[in-house]
Amino acid sequence: MISTKKIISLVLIVLFVMLYLCGSAQTYVSKNIRASIYSSTPLEDIKAASDKASAVLITSTREVAVQVPVKSLEFDRKLMQEHFNENYMESDKYPFAKFKGIIAEQLDFSKDGEYDVTVNGVLSVHGVDQKRSIPGKISIKNGTVQISTAFKVACANHKIKIPTVVFTKIAEQISVKAEGKLNLLKQ
Amino acid sequence: MIYMKTRLLFLFLLLTVTASAQEADSLLKSLSADSLPPTVDAVFKSTRVVLSHSSETQKKHDLDMRIRHHFGDIGGRFGSAHTFYGLDLASDLFIGFDYGISDDLTVAIGRSKTDELFNFSGKYKLLKQKNNGAMPANLTLFAQMGWIAREPFNASEFVDYTDRFSYFLQAIISRKFSQRLSLEVMPGFLLRKNVSDANEPENLFTLGFAGRMKLTKRLSFVADYTLVNGLSRPKDLATTYYNPLGVGLEIETGGHIFSLNFMNAEYIIENNFIPNTRKSWNDGGVRFGFTISRNFTLFKSKNKDSDKQSKIY
Repeated sequence: MISTKKIISLVLIVLFVMLYLCGSAQTYVSKNIRASIYSSTPLEDIKAASDKASAVLITSTREVAVQVPVKSLEFDRKLMQEHFNENYMESDKYPFAKFKGIIAEQLDFSKDGEYDVTVNGVLSVHGVDQKRSIPGKISIKNGTVQISTAFKVACANHKIKIPTVVFTKIAEQISVKAEGKLNLLKQ
Repeated sequence: MIYMKTRLLFLFLLLTVTASAQEADSLLKSLSADSLPPTVDAVFKSTRVVLSHSSETQKKHDLDMRIRHHFGDIGGRFGSAHTFYGLDLASDLFIGFDYGISDDLTVAIGRSKTDELFNFSGKYKLLKQKNNGAMPANLTLFAQMGWIAREPFNASEFVDYTDRFSYFLQAIISRKFSQRLSLEVMPGFLLRKNVSDANEPENLFTLGFAGRMKLTKRLSFVADYTLVNGLSRPKDLATTYYNPLGVGLEIETGGHIFSLNFMNAEYIIENNFIPNTRKSWNDGGVRFGFTISRNFTLFKSKNKDSDKQSKIY
């Protein structure tokens, strides 16, 4: 008493399960990537960090995206943090800093390993998009993916103006770091 | 029944596969949905607007040194070219220190030239505006004691030593309407003993209004007005008093704030300018004034996180 419809459904289910297990479209995500910024001049070193950055990695398309809520960057000095958000980043207008790109190398995500990669994409900070090729490291271990990167951002490239009175205290190039563990997205 | 279940399973699997192929953007959006703090920051740049307090308090462990000058009348009998439009005179001078015990609680001490008045105040941020609709406004409570330290002008003054003290209580309700515009309303009450006019009550109700309009990121237009006349104060007084009105520009450069103002109030501290403003904008009684404010971070942060440790060489 097995209907054709049931057979078709079963066949489809098996197909989808196979597709799913093949891992052709796996997605890794994280909500607590550490992102930090560092400005260094002979007069002052300024640092800030956040543990609230999000990241997405889609294995089928080799797409990587990392997004930092600008206001979640914490400074030692609260007044400095307020000025960072109000005067430089305009965080109410541009709440996120983001990088999205495609990994240039072919990686086998089913095997454990460590890879130096280059990600080509767009960095958008302060509402200004810049095409960037950013180096990073991807390590795959026991079904999790660890990403890390370090690169520099020139304030002028993102229309972040540094007034002359504080020019000696804020670097023209800000060092940016991000690292964290991504887990397989469970449906 | 079995058929229904299979169909559900099939739908579920279909969803699974399509979801994995979902755009990175929409995934990022859902991941960082609650990552932004809902608090509204920097409603005002400074703890003062022109004459009045703003709803802002000092950040934790930050000390603000504040120097303020009020010059003489620009026009009228005491102004014009003979006093260089009031710049030869100082109707009041003030130096004060505001210290943040926590991000919400500030204590302050200051001294004015007028009456050799020492002021001691506490300011507490009770409610904070949230951008998720949970709280539409800020509420800051302000209390200030004034102590007149000068010699009595005559034998009948300060017979009782407690006559030298005055107390000002205020609720500051503010809202940041946009990146540029912040407004506040400040109901207040002044209690004092040192009254010069026989018909004047010792205690006065006040209602203040203040606002800030940002012109650039660091330059703002600021204004405040305090209603004293028209509330509990009687009309038949021997002396004519006016409501204090101040306007000005505020310039912020890192830890400094410079404020350049024009106002009719001769005095700087609420306990003085609320009851004793005798000058008017109409007859040249307006004067120039300025504030220099400098913030110092007193304690080195005990932050163990090396990614957050800033350093000044």
